[in-house]
Amino acid sequence: METGGSSESPAEPKKGRSRAPKKAAESLLKQKSPAEFFAENKNIAGFDNPGKSLYTTVRELVENSLDSAESISELPVVEITIEEIGKSKFNSMIGLIDRERVDAALYDDYETAKERERRLAKEARAQEIQARNAASGKKVKEQSAGKGMKGRGEGSFYRVTCKDNGKGMPHDDIPNMFGRVLSGTKYGLKQTRGKFGLGAKMALIWSKMSTGLPIEISSSMKGQTYMTFCRLDIDIHRNVPHVHVHEKRKNDNKWHGAEIQVVIEGNWTTYRSKILHYMRQMAVITPYAQFLFRFISETSDKNVTIKFARRTEVMPPVPLETKHHPSSVDILLIKRLIAETSKQNLLQFLQHEFVNIGKSHAERLIGEMGSEFSAKMPVKSLTDQQIVRIHQLFRQAKFDDPTGDCLSPAGEYNLRLGIIKELHPDMVATYSGSAQVFEGHPFIVEAGVSVGGKDVKQGLNIFRFANRIPLLFEQGADVVTRTALKRINWGTYKINQTQDKIGVFVSIVSTKIPFKGTGKEYIGDDIKEIATAVKSAIQQCCNQLKSKIIKKLQAREQQERKRNIGRYIPDASAAIYDVLQAMTQLHASKKRRYNEEDTDLVSKVASRSITTATLKEKLSEHVARVDYEMALEYATQSGVSEEPREDVYIQALEPAAADGKKFLDFHSPTFVFRLVC
Amino acid sequence: MADTTGKSKKRRRADDGAPELPFKKNLKPDSAILETLKSLQKSTIAAASSSSSKPKSLSELALTAACREVTDQSPDSVQSNIEGVILSLARSIIAGNGFSFNVPSRAATNQLYVPELDRIVLKDKNTLRPFANNSSVRKATITTKILSLIHQLCLKNIHVTKRDLFYTDVKLFQDQTQSDAVLDDVSCVLGCTRSSLNVVAAEKGVVVGRLVFSDDGDMIDCTKMGIGGKAIPPNIDRVGDMQSDALFILLVEKDAAYMRLAEDRFYNRFPCIIVTAKGQPDVATRLFLRKMKMELKLPVLALVDSDPYGLKILSVYGCGSKNMSYDSANLTTPDIKWLGVRPSDLDKYKIPEQCRLPMTEQDIKTGKDLLEEDFVKKNPAWVEELTLMVKTKQKAEIQALSSFGFQYLSEVYLPLKLQQQDWI
Repeated sequence: METGGSSESPAEPKKGRSRAPKKAAESLLKQKSPAEFFAENKNIAGFDNPGKSLYTTVRELVENSLDSAESISELPVVEITIEEIGKSKFNSMIGLIDRERVDAALYDDYETAKERERRLAKEARAQEIQARNAASGKKVKEQSAGKGMKGRGEGSFYRVTCKDNGKGMPHDDIPNMFGRVLSGTKYGLKQTRGKFGLGAKMALIWSKMSTGLPIEISSSMKGQTYMTFCRLDIDIHRNVPHVHVHEKRKNDNKWHGAEIQVVIEGNWTTYRSKILHYMRQMAVITPYAQFLFRFISETSDKNVTIKFARRTEVMPPVPLETKHHPSSVDILLIKRLIAETSKQNLLQFLQHEFVNIGKSHAERLIGEMGSEFSAKMPVKSLTDQQIVRIHQLFRQAKFDDPTGDCLSPAGEYNLRLGIIKELHPDMVATYSGSAQVFEGHPFIVEAGVSVGGKDVKQGLNIFRFANRIPLLFEQGADVVTRTALKRINWGTYKINQTQDKIGVFVSIVSTKIPFKGTGKEYIGDDIKEIATAVKSAIQQCCNQLKSKIIKKLQAREQQERKRNIGRYIPDASAAIYDVLQAMTQLHASKKRRYNEEDTDLVSKVASRSITTATLKEKLSEHVARVDYEMALEYATQSGVSEEPREDVYIQALEPAAADGKKFLDFHSPTFVFRLVC
Repeated sequence: MADTTGKSKKRRRADDGAPELPFKKNLKPDSAILETLKSLQKSTIAAASSSSSKPKSLSELALTAACREVTDQSPDSVQSNIEGVILSLARSIIAGNGFSFNVPSRAATNQLYVPELDRIVLKDKNTLRPFANNSSVRKATITTKILSLIHQLCLKNIHVTKRDLFYTDVKLFQDQTQSDAVLDDVSCVLGCTRSSLNVVAAEKGVVVGRLVFSDDGDMIDCTKMGIGGKAIPPNIDRVGDMQSDALFILLVEKDAAYMRLAEDRFYNRFPCIIVTAKGQPDVATRLFLRKMKMELKLPVLALVDSDPYGLKILSVYGCGSKNMSYDSANLTTPDIKWLGVRPSDLDKYKIPEQCRLPMTEQDIKTGKDLLEEDFVKKNPAWVEELTLMVKTKQKAEIQALSSFGFQYLSEVYLPLKLQQQDWI
């Protein structure tokens, strides 16, 4: 996966990787540029097929935008547009003339006369069956309107545009930021959405592979008077950008941020729901962002426009870059840190380049390393053997766990808001765990559990987030799914796992998320620390819900009591009346003697002054009375129930009279009424 | 002990007197065994006559806790009892107070083992079953319905099965366990046995062997009932005129072992009566066994599996079940001997490893619970056997004996057991 040079000079990976590979051509040893490698193994980055590629492109662009806006503490506004480009339009874009098919049999979707006959017969039969079903009133699944007979060459093309209000990019860096794979600004040890500097470049590689069209970038940074426009593609073999246009343009309305436009092959039909789910879940986990999603189709009836409005202005803090924890480093990393450090001696190096090593602790460590080590020895003079010794000690020695200060979880408030905003559940509970550690990397698990809501299907609906991005694929093996399905006993919390609409939200943030598999799509179930943290977080939420649910159930039971008991009144009174009636006959035939009181009752039955109806009526009266008494008792016991109040977010008022509209404001110390004339 | 020379004749039939059956040579001639059985019978009769001085009913015992028992009642008195209950209900309804049943609780906490009687009795705790309560409305309604149905039965003096009863109103009862449970409650409320309610369970138990009795006037000879035997009549009132020349009663847990013994005509070799209820005993079988024991004064020997459930079944015959403890006086048969298969037999008869089963967690728990029960504790030999079972964590069914040949049970095991008087 790596070129030979990269391990030698880990500090400057760019140079090593970009070296021209062609020199080695005469020997059989070939070298590949990283761009070539990823072009060939694009599934690693989530570009398995056109549909998934469209999804991944959207995803990478949105995540870059969010990171960019958050890095300057700006509330993100992201506009994403997918525009369908028909074949002829596409051809004209690339300057290709539309050509009619001449030799029809040459194509994959060619239908011979025989096949055509068969298909028509089949369709006629299907129609007949449908008509019969309709006549007999049977409901049948609507048949999918004939499979689109699309040949392989008949791909669909889309222009994906993503515009944000983020940091923007420096004019001179833009070509390298897009045209060089594995170059990036997110390589440090901190919690970020992206990690490998791959996303936008992969989109470009994909566009080059599927359409051959370049990427277009407009960007401006805060305070810049101009706007950069750049059109470029990538030289895959050399892993260098190939710039078409790179110029400064006028920036009139002080916009800062980036707008990226790329034309790729995709498949909207099959990945529509995935992309919409992604946007929806992104809105859940980032309620402080505003998203505008548009799909523009050639036929306007398929157009989609969804606006995910901002619900809060509280943004999680920017994640801080942190130093490595001694138990998480390997030998290579120690070497790199030594090469990069500005510290002179070993003591300072240990003390300043790692977390959780204080001065006295560092001294003790050096003492433990052996006699050839000393606190004052220059750190750059360490031999390979000595570095191995340091590594060994790091593995064995005890260190305090790193704190979670460098992490930026979504926060209970935001998680809760997001859930309420997107699902409108009946109840929701959230919980934020404390920081824990896995292999020297701190992580925080936050969870939310909701019950009920609109557009939520029955059973468990699992929403997974890692470093505040939604995970949509490979749900089955994920630690969250497994935990929610297997290790939580929903029954104990009065939640019905199959009947109730349960939403389970789990967000994990860490400086290093231990993803499984090639695509960063799921977290394995084999990490005990994470599994335990996830379980306890979900349980905490359930515990909060339990009391609410029990209260609700009691109230419902109270309501249903009368009806439930009422159901049995006819049965009970009929049974009693039957016996009474049998007794009247016995009494009449003098077979049996009763005492006076009973005789009175029996004769009343005989004279039909007491009938089943009398018994029913009396029973109903009694039930109603008991019911009333119990309701009173219930009310006095539980008192007036007060739900905890929740904050409501109201957007700030625009300054008045900016665009000529007239307002009349009534001010009070706590609020303003604005009348729009 | 096992004969090792007979390996070549392994396939020969057992009744050829093939010597390969282990322990076979320990057997004395049948006549000797018969002698021991006769002496057993004599001692049983003697014990029965001498024990007449023993207190037989609850009232004669000065118990600290009040107990509840039911009696056989005529249909007429059951009918008037029901009428009394219904009239009071009707009065209460008309007075505007709804209605409510006061039902004796049959929960485990309301049971008491009385060592003097050697059976479980019901204490006097009651639970209220008001109609105007969400949790008891169902049961209250079912109770009135059952009362009304029983009233009809008594009026017409006919018998129906529990299943019949359930089918009169499937919608209300929902499943048969509900109507069955209420039926027992009604017995308690009215203070009569379940048989007096004119409701019987379907036939389950069978009897074969040296017994003659009359069923509704017809004389039945249980030696001439083929291999299947005679089904025990669900209504014990029809049974009478018991006669027998048997020396003992053999109580078998399982249908399979019963069939083996019946087919081999075990009762002709050693005069006996063989009874089984095919698992947990029903009321009819328990009543029948008690009647045989009381009228014929025969010793009862039990052949059950060597597992906790075998002993449990034995205890139901002997001391009664908790569910029907209110009628334990009529349902229990005193002085049942545990003949086999006992945990100690597994090693004594060298039952091979592959025929023994490991006990599950649940089995071990049941076994340990049984050790705490009074009816086990009263018999030190039982405690010893059960302790052995829990310790070795092994169980075996009666069928484990078939590993020496299908007829090993009737040819060797039982005769040897009888000869050695190996019962506890």
